[in-house]
Amino acid sequence: MPTFAVHNPIAIDAEKCVRCDLCDWICPGDLIYHEEGNKEKLPVVAYPDECWYCGMCQSICPVNAITVVFPEQMVRNQTDVVTLLGKIVES
Amino acid sequence: MSDNWTALETDLLVVGGGVAGTMAAIPALEAGLKVVICEKGKVLDHCGSIGCGVDHYLTVMDTGPEWDTPEFLIKHVPELTDYIVDLEVAGRVIHEMPRIFRKIESFGVDFKDRRTGDYYRLRSLGLPGTYHINFDGTDFKKHIGERVRKGKATVLMRTMVVQLLVEDNRAYGAIAFNFRTGEWYAIRAKAVVLAAGDVNRISQNASGLAFDSWHFPYNTGDAQAMGYHAGAALANMESVEATLTPKGFSCQGLNALVSLGAYFVNRQGDRFMFKYDKKGENARRAVIADAAINEYLLGNGPVYLDCRHLPQEMLDRMEYTLQVDRYTLPAFYRQKGVNFREELVEISISELSIRRSGVYFRGSGLAVDVNAETSVEGLFAAGDCATVSGGISGAAVLGHIAGEGVVRRVRETTGLLPSISAQEVEAARSQARSHLNQRDGSSWKEFENAIRQIVTDYVGVRRAGPGLKLALSALQALSRREPALAADDLHGLMRVHEAKNIRMNAEIMATASLARKETRTGSSHLRLDYPATDDANWRRFVVVRRGEGGPKMNTLPTDQPLAAAFGRRAAVLT
Repeated sequence: MPTFAVHNPIAIDAEKCVRCDLCDWICPGDLIYHEEGNKEKLPVVAYPDECWYCGMCQSICPVNAITVVFPEQMVRNQTDVVTLLGKIVES
Repeated sequence: MSDNWTALETDLLVVGGGVAGTMAAIPALEAGLKVVICEKGKVLDHCGSIGCGVDHYLTVMDTGPEWDTPEFLIKHVPELTDYIVDLEVAGRVIHEMPRIFRKIESFGVDFKDRRTGDYYRLRSLGLPGTYHINFDGTDFKKHIGERVRKGKATVLMRTMVVQLLVEDNRAYGAIAFNFRTGEWYAIRAKAVVLAAGDVNRISQNASGLAFDSWHFPYNTGDAQAMGYHAGAALANMESVEATLTPKGFSCQGLNALVSLGAYFVNRQGDRFMFKYDKKGENARRAVIADAAINEYLLGNGPVYLDCRHLPQEMLDRMEYTLQVDRYTLPAFYRQKGVNFREELVEISISELSIRRSGVYFRGSGLAVDVNAETSVEGLFAAGDCATVSGGISGAAVLGHIAGEGVVRRVRETTGLLPSISAQEVEAARSQARSHLNQRDGSSWKEFENAIRQIVTDYVGVRRAGPGLKLALSALQALSRREPALAADDLHGLMRVHEAKNIRMNAEIMATASLARKETRTGSSHLRLDYPATDDANWRRFVVVRRGEGGPKMNTLPTDQPLAAAFGRRAAVLT
């Protein structure tokens, strides 16, 4: 299976982001970190390769600053499905 | 990490704040019990598998026709589960369905179709009636979460339970830590409900991204692994579940697709499902997945989703419903440049879950009695980690049953619980410190990848004795690498614990798969060396418990409830 560079699944628009804590608050995977009440710093996607692509951060963002971006290996997937169906071992 | 730990005292400790856990908390709170909930997510209104929303709810409603009665559905359960089911527990769950459904409605969940003002009930996944209510469940979890918050439960968020406290086969609490603050908790409880969901991240999928999973990737069999270590019996762990997903994105939605009339076709354009089941696309999920697997193996892949024949109104409903179940699916199609209304969509087999193997009412996990109590006294289980499971409603109903069982168990509890052993807490913390201090330790990601490769190749949808034995020894060898797993931070420490739980579940699954020398429910448990379903010898449960050197199994006939082998006194059902 080819290896891919770590993809950032959650694009945050720095212009629009109001630095609330909602994306950190709602992320089910504990991926997004934002220091509570810090109005200077943007939220950080600390563990991008652990994203479920559920989009809860995008759906809760009050100013539409978040877009979920799928990586190439998801949108243009080339895997042969048969490789997921097991190997036969002779006894 | 702070040097101190917080000791908490409660009546009920709930592990997991999803549907089953919150529904278990409700009757306990109503009875005036003290409740502590530990949850890895941060907000009760949105955590668990359906924190983002859900689009269907299975229930009998007792509205008059015979098919809508519990008795009618119960009659069909043996056939629906290929005769591997604890009928006593499944029967109680189905009997309680109408009552719990009305109770959830009273919390403010609106199950009715907004246009007609009536329930939109569909037949799907092989069930013998239109039991699935198709509805906008975006806020389903929010209403239940609210109920628990109003009941004044203590909710510890971003907190992972890592070990149960058990003495003489009686649970009395657990050890947990907050992976944001590093605070440790020793929680003494008169009863514990395990409701931490199914097992995911256990096999490979098309994208190769471990967290791109059909089911919630943060459910890692924590309850099953902790229950196992505490001595609880598990059953049906050989049965796995896969689904069909758009290739590259493992997401939910099969139920909505088939119930609204979508077809699956192979490379030749043949609508192949009828070759495998007379119900075609309306067959059970296990049969649908099995059919697609076969088509791929026969060289008839790719398999496609075909919605082109559907009227606009159905397509609109489908599009709306699909995004309730998975908010980002429309964005995926957009980014991919596919219009599912007019084009074929390439389909893949998803990764596996240890869950309920594509059927309703046969769960894979901790064996429970009619009170949802496991073989360990005072330890309950509900939802996808228990042996009777049925989607959201199964989790809600068994969760509520567990909560009521806890009330009875707590009232029967006399005398003092054991006190928390400081030594035991310190041992758990010292192990955690060791993972955090690993300078040259190995990565939990590589460790998990190794598990997934072993499971995919030898414990997946095509199994045989030699491969299973190979897998078992490889999985056991991996366990020896566990002490050297490195955690970069507290979040990583949580993942290290998850990775260990995934490995434990994989070993239990391989043990049970090797034991069941037959094929049952197609690729849920397909033995190439025993390709037939052997009803004469294998209408039996495979039960796994912790033994001296690892998992030990025995079998039990399915004409008895699993609880017949528990060897502990049952709480009195009133």
